[in-house]
Amino acid sequence: MTRIAFCGVGALGSNAVLYCRELGAELRLIDFDRVESKNLAAQWFVKQSVGKNKAEAVRLQLANFYGVKAEAMGVRLAAHNATQLLDGCDLAVDCFDNHDSRMLLSEAARARGLPLVHAALAGDGTFGLVRWDERFAPDREDAEGQATCEGGEHLPVIGLVAATLARAIQDFLKSGARADSMVSLSGVVRTHI
Amino acid sequence: MAVLNITYQGNSGDYDLEIDYSASDADIRRIAVEVVRSGGIRGLHLANLPDNAFANYVVDRLRSPGGEERIYLRPKVPFGA
Repeated sequence: MTRIAFCGVGALGSNAVLYCRELGAELRLIDFDRVESKNLAAQWFVKQSVGKNKAEAVRLQLANFYGVKAEAMGVRLAAHNATQLLDGCDLAVDCFDNHDSRMLLSEAARARGLPLVHAALAGDGTFGLVRWDERFAPDREDAEGQATCEGGEHLPVIGLVAATLARAIQDFLKSGARADSMVSLSGVVRTHI
Repeated sequence: MAVLNITYQGNSGDYDLEIDYSASDADIRRIAVEVVRSGGIRGLHLANLPDNAFANYVVDRLRSPGGEERIYLRPKVPFGA
């Protein structure tokens, strides 16, 4: 069975996993962070998950709500453990929230020829991208600590980007297609098919 | 020649007139300000757009599978998790 590694299960990652729960693939969830109360506004977590590791919380929610099994790895992806974390995976999904982690994941995926798709959001919650690694370059924040789209007002766009990502994953699993999309308040536009 | 697509404040659209694919990023940003001010993109007409509106925007140059050259001027996307 195909195994997908979701790297980062915060706003985009947790919602994308939710939409990928019926793909018939094994899901590996990688995130070192813990669920905070404020995360409930824009991330797929419930009150009972506050305080838990995010990867473990998503795993529990998938099991309890849908009977879907997943594998949780509550660690930070780094150069020394990338081989272990991505071992046996057929696809990696980047939902990280920073430039350096995205670069590290790209390097690890390219080194082992692992297909990698990225999803990313603008800080003001008006725009997002889904783009395959061969056409992706991570952006840095304009300033450290820049406001993110973690407030609940951006949840519809976060959901739209997450759903677009899930569709890109679904298309890849079905036919090997690597479609890129751009998501704005105007809608979703395919930029590469 | 390439099609220029601009995304600003959540709205996105193509500019009808093609521009030079090899134009510099600075030129793309400068042209984009004029295009948006003049209403050259449907749904994206801001007559008083500041000169530096696109200063922190990213210029992507992509070629479609059909060979079409496209330039995307877009906000940065540093976030995800």
